[in-house]
Amino acid sequence: MNTGSAKWQRTLFIASFIVPTLAFFSLFTIYPVAKGLYYSLFDWSGMSQDKEFIGLDNFKALFQDPIVWRAIGNDYFLVLGKIIGIMLLATFFAVSLTRFNFKLAGFMRSIFFIPNVISVVVIGVLWSFIYNPQIGFLNAFLSLFTEDKVTIAWLGFMNHTIWMLLPPAIWAGIGFYMILLIAAIQNIPASYFEAAELEGAGQWKQFRSITLPLIWEQMKVSILNIMMTTLNGSFVIVWIMTEGGPDNSTQVMGSYLYQMAFRQYHFGFAAAIGVLILVLSLITTVVLQRLLRHETVELS
Amino acid sequence: MMIKNKFAAMSLAVVLATMTLAGCGSDKEKATDTPSTNEPAADTSTNESSGDKKLTGDFEIQYFVGGYGDKWWKKVIADFQAANPDLNIKEMSGPKINEQNKPRWIGGNPPDFVYIDGPELNDRQMVEDGQLEDLTEWLKTGTNVDGDNILDLLTQAPQQYDGKIYNIPLVLNSWGIFWNKALFKEKGWQEPQNYADFLKVSEQIKAAGVTPFIHTGKYPYYINGAVLYPAIVSANNGDFTVLQDMAANKVEAFNSPAVLGALNKIVEMRDKGFIDKASIQINHTDSQMLFLQNKDAFIPNGLWLPNEMSKDIPSGFDFGFIPSVMQDAGQKVVANTSTATVAIAKNGKNKEAAKAFLQFIFSKAQASQWAELSGSPSNIKGDISASNAPNFVKDAAKYLNDANTIVIPTITFNADVDKAMQDATDALTIAKITPEEWISRVTDVVKKVAK
Repeated sequence: MNTGSAKWQRTLFIASFIVPTLAFFSLFTIYPVAKGLYYSLFDWSGMSQDKEFIGLDNFKALFQDPIVWRAIGNDYFLVLGKIIGIMLLATFFAVSLTRFNFKLAGFMRSIFFIPNVISVVVIGVLWSFIYNPQIGFLNAFLSLFTEDKVTIAWLGFMNHTIWMLLPPAIWAGIGFYMILLIAAIQNIPASYFEAAELEGAGQWKQFRSITLPLIWEQMKVSILNIMMTTLNGSFVIVWIMTEGGPDNSTQVMGSYLYQMAFRQYHFGFAAAIGVLILVLSLITTVVLQRLLRHETVELS
Repeated sequence: MMIKNKFAAMSLAVVLATMTLAGCGSDKEKATDTPSTNEPAADTSTNESSGDKKLTGDFEIQYFVGGYGDKWWKKVIADFQAANPDLNIKEMSGPKINEQNKPRWIGGNPPDFVYIDGPELNDRQMVEDGQLEDLTEWLKTGTNVDGDNILDLLTQAPQQYDGKIYNIPLVLNSWGIFWNKALFKEKGWQEPQNYADFLKVSEQIKAAGVTPFIHTGKYPYYINGAVLYPAIVSANNGDFTVLQDMAANKVEAFNSPAVLGALNKIVEMRDKGFIDKASIQINHTDSQMLFLQNKDAFIPNGLWLPNEMSKDIPSGFDFGFIPSVMQDAGQKVVANTSTATVAIAKNGKNKEAAKAFLQFIFSKAQASQWAELSGSPSNIKGDISASNAPNFVKDAAKYLNDANTIVIPTITFNADVDKAMQDATDALTIAKITPEEWISRVTDVVKKVAK
């Protein structure tokens, strides 16, 4: 009897933690996702009382829409560009701020982290000004080296304007991952490096054979996180800087979803784009996790 | 034991809290679902027996607050309330009201009266969604509080959807081309009256080291509204039915020589190097700033420009305005209007009051009141010269009421077609596509939409 009551209390105790979490998770995650899936099967303007069930027609239209394909391409371009750019620079900064002792390390760490504190909206506006053809910093800087004033419209190329969104995205992302990697590197006992040095290993060898294997877990997490935040969140910087233009050349899935739902009144189609983002995120996560599977070296 | 009890109590509290929260959720569900079922309200009956109708019950007005402010709305609603003391008027307003009220429109429980302006509210879409009351019959004989026929009072006629009228334009605003009169005087440039003038003076402006023309490529509806559409009408000998046919998704209209001719004029401007290369990527504010700094001579914009930029206008800057420069010498000036309309909800509960409110606001007295309080011309014909409206509003009103101006009545394109035209115009200005490609691209979308 006594044990039964204790068991019951234990169950109640656990439930008191799980039930609220589950309730909120269902309410704020599962329910909207299910609702999104549901709406993607309808032809609905987003304002009408009536919606027409059209089965998978939205998805058929999705794959026939060239802008969707461009948006997917742009999204994966950003994912790839950001992973390469952020990981290279963040690792470089992390290693140089921890392994090479110099005076300004603490100060530099703060400087590199600042972009992470600034809201993405501000970053978008800031870089819009840098890219401004008439009063922007970039053209003014380039004009120092040329005879004529440089008047390049950095966000107005016929194609590949998406390239110009990569620098702000990378710039904004480095700080956080740098801090993550710094923490990982600082966890490595100094004796490993001392021993390696006594054996005659140079900095590069130390990095390859000690640092990299021991921070691989954190790098993996970083790469996955960059991928997920980009697929789901590239909307903000695109919307602030170009709204997907000119001529849809910088459209990503998120911005096209917004455009379709609230500017062109195709809510069902937009919901279908949402489902596409979900599916692609899941697939990419699985694929990346497989690719990054690597024997984890653990500190013992 | 005590600790155990404490935990038990706490967990119980947490569970209870979640249960109430969950309860909240389901209650909300009900709240949004039920209104559609108990639609007929009891208090809409009117006492028609006693000569003058007495309005009673609730009357809900939804109005977006944007560039025109809400001063006029507050005033006119207060006046309407004073005239109908038994009516319980509820205002639903603000810059976010369109989004906020969306669930009510979807749920079949919309406010009675709506002012269609701002984001996420599109009159054509609302008509297609069956949200607006058909006013065609009522307007045939509809008179305002003074006994004047409402349709006769309007400067620009309401847009027709398959021959039916659902919404009435309240604002009369116009797209057009601005320049700085002071700068033109100083440099000895001639203010353009037609396309030939425009090309000639642009050549001089360019030679003087100023870029002739800037627009906002981020929002290409500015150049479409102020340059392309008037150009199409001018190329069509001043006949604006071509635009109305385009808005009705008739493919032939897009293939008319007028459209190609208008597009070729934009190409000419582009190839002569008149269009500022910065245009393609900047937003309206940036383009307007460059214009105010005299870095660019002409800007396509709307009559709200002086008001919008009032804080940033340098001293000595003097706005020159013409509704369009795309007409040939001898042709009439074409003014493409920009408007905001009002309508009655099809599922509204107090249509009686909504119609009375329409009769109240479309009266001559409101013409000057709107101009004064909102800073833009009203769509109601009426002499506002004696009112306290700003000078440029009076000038614009004069322009738009002039017999030598062709006023294009308000036209809303299908949102997909509109976007396709905007994208294509942007692409055209940076030489990514040809005018023929513009047409084929847009007609592809039109065909898809018309299905």
